[in-house]
Amino acid sequence: MMLASRSISTKLTWMNISVTAVALIVASIAFLAYDQSTARSELALSLSTQAQIVASNSVSALEFNDPQSARLTLAALAASPNIEGAGLLTPDGQLFAEYWRSPNVRVNVLPVLQPNRIETVVFFPQHATVIRNIDFGGRRIGAIYIRSSLVTIDQRRNRFLQILAIVLLACLGAALLVSMAFRHSVADPITELADTARTVSRERNYSIRAKPSRAHDELATLIAAFNEMLGQIQLRDAALLSARNELEVRVQERTKQLVAANRDLEAFSYSVSHDLRGPLEIVNGMNFIITQQYGRELPAGLRDCLDRIEDAAKRMEQLIDDMLNLARVTKSEIHRERVDLSGMVRQILSEFRQRYPERVIETTVAPDVIVEGDAHLLRVAMDNLVGNAWKYSSNVSPSRIEFGVRQSEGAPVFFVRDNGAGFDPRSAQRLFQPFQRLHPISEFPGTGVGLATVQRIIQKHGGRIWAEGQVNKGATFSFTLAEPESAVA
Amino acid sequence: MRYARVRWWGGRCSVLLCCVLAITPAVFAQAPASATELQVKAAYLFKFGAFVEWPPTAPSDSFAICVMGRDPFGHTLDDTIRGEQINGKKLVAKRIVLPEQAAQCQILYISDSEEARLRPILSAVGKMPVLTVSDITNFAERGGAIQFVLENGRVRFNVNLASAEKAGLTLSSQLLKVASSVQRSEGRD
Repeated sequence: MMLASRSISTKLTWMNISVTAVALIVASIAFLAYDQSTARSELALSLSTQAQIVASNSVSALEFNDPQSARLTLAALAASPNIEGAGLLTPDGQLFAEYWRSPNVRVNVLPVLQPNRIETVVFFPQHATVIRNIDFGGRRIGAIYIRSSLVTIDQRRNRFLQILAIVLLACLGAALLVSMAFRHSVADPITELADTARTVSRERNYSIRAKPSRAHDELATLIAAFNEMLGQIQLRDAALLSARNELEVRVQERTKQLVAANRDLEAFSYSVSHDLRGPLEIVNGMNFIITQQYGRELPAGLRDCLDRIEDAAKRMEQLIDDMLNLARVTKSEIHRERVDLSGMVRQILSEFRQRYPERVIETTVAPDVIVEGDAHLLRVAMDNLVGNAWKYSSNVSPSRIEFGVRQSEGAPVFFVRDNGAGFDPRSAQRLFQPFQRLHPISEFPGTGVGLATVQRIIQKHGGRIWAEGQVNKGATFSFTLAEPESAVA
Repeated sequence: MRYARVRWWGGRCSVLLCCVLAITPAVFAQAPASATELQVKAAYLFKFGAFVEWPPTAPSDSFAICVMGRDPFGHTLDDTIRGEQINGKKLVAKRIVLPEQAAQCQILYISDSEEARLRPILSAVGKMPVLTVSDITNFAERGGAIQFVLENGRVRFNVNLASAEKAGLTLSSQLLKVASSVQRSEGRD
């Protein structure tokens, strides 16, 4: 329906006009019906009266068979403009005398007069006819009919319709004016409310308010409720915002605290590591001196003890180195530059080959893997990853180590794969925690700090590292570096 | 409703679709179209009664129509007025011979046979409240009240209003309207 999409003010206007028109038309139809029926009754009464007068004046003409006199009497009806014609009938139904205003009347249809009735008036589409029996001296001496046109009634109806049309137009105009007047009190506030609601939802500005209505109707309640709702939303928004700000402040505070704590911890671990070196140097030195000076004199059991002390000291030294490394990595700033990872991996592998010439090992290095990153830190990371692969594949011959890159979700993923001892995939997360080891030291030496260092480095580059593997089926360490400008495969 | 007849009248075709009227057989029998001249006159005789006002007289329960002289109607008059009433009074037909007998009559038909002694009769009856009717030529001019005349085969009548007034009778204007002629002065002889 067209009306459904119109504005409320248009609807109100239409409503007013329709109500007015319908009311007026219904009332007019009723009045017209009443008026027409009244007019017909009046016409019937007038016809009946005229029939009675003419009848009583025609008695002698009928009684003494004088059609000429009867015609004169009938012709008196010419004074009544609506009468088209009239006639007298003898009791046996013969036409006795007739009068017609116009000579053009050709057909005259007379209604049936019931035997028990003295008179009847019948309305035809164009005219009405009364027929009345004439009794005189207790005898029926004839009948009279008078035919009247309905022009007067039709004119009356037409005049009524004209007036109705004028009144209808006037009323519609008045209704239009009234609805325009009411528009200010009903439609305008609604339109304004709708506009406000639209603005609020478009701009998400909850500080806007609809103009409050001065009236005390439902509309005013609606506007007030709407404004109140906006107020509540605004309050809630403010509360939310302040909560978020507070949270942010708190997070910043905590972060600051954490950073401080971390720094303390790092400083502590650095200084501890550093300070541990001194006593360790002494232990190592003393051990060296004892072995050099008194080695031959010492019993085998004691020499063995000294060897163990040396081993332990070396492990401790390694541990301290690793911890210092980790601490350094954590502290150091990144200096991005172009780094040839392929060349770096090849160099590391050749170093390992020199150190462990006895290992039979197949290596595959993807060529031209160039990335943006900190050359020094990436060297530490790759040292650890390749070193791990080298170490944990030592129980397999021939060992295989592969460095490569693949694309995943549009970003390069670098990986180092070996065919060595692998690990239990359920422990994959623990791999990257410091001092967590999945294999006993007796099997594979190590401090458990290397992968933690690698993870720190990758994270510092904005990347991510993860491991996949199965026990005795090798391990794959994959990592990404900060996207997208950094990675060039 | 039935189609009664199609008739030419006044040079134009008027299809007259008649109603069925409630008609009493008595009236039907007296319809002018089927009546002989005598029957029409007999009917007129009593019909006059409805259009004439008589001066108040001693109450009587009958209304007499008298025929003086040789009765041309025979039983027609009696048949015509049988069962009829005027002003609540029963109609009776009487035959009289002497003018004095007219005192008991309201309407007096003077037969052609009395033409010779019309003058004494009228002078005897003239002052009585009696409506005199006759077929005698120039009856109205000669002092009678109503005179039957034939016009184109139709029975009509002349009225002498002065004679009626002299008799103390008032004739209805309706009656005068249908009269062939109305004489308002005294008779010539």
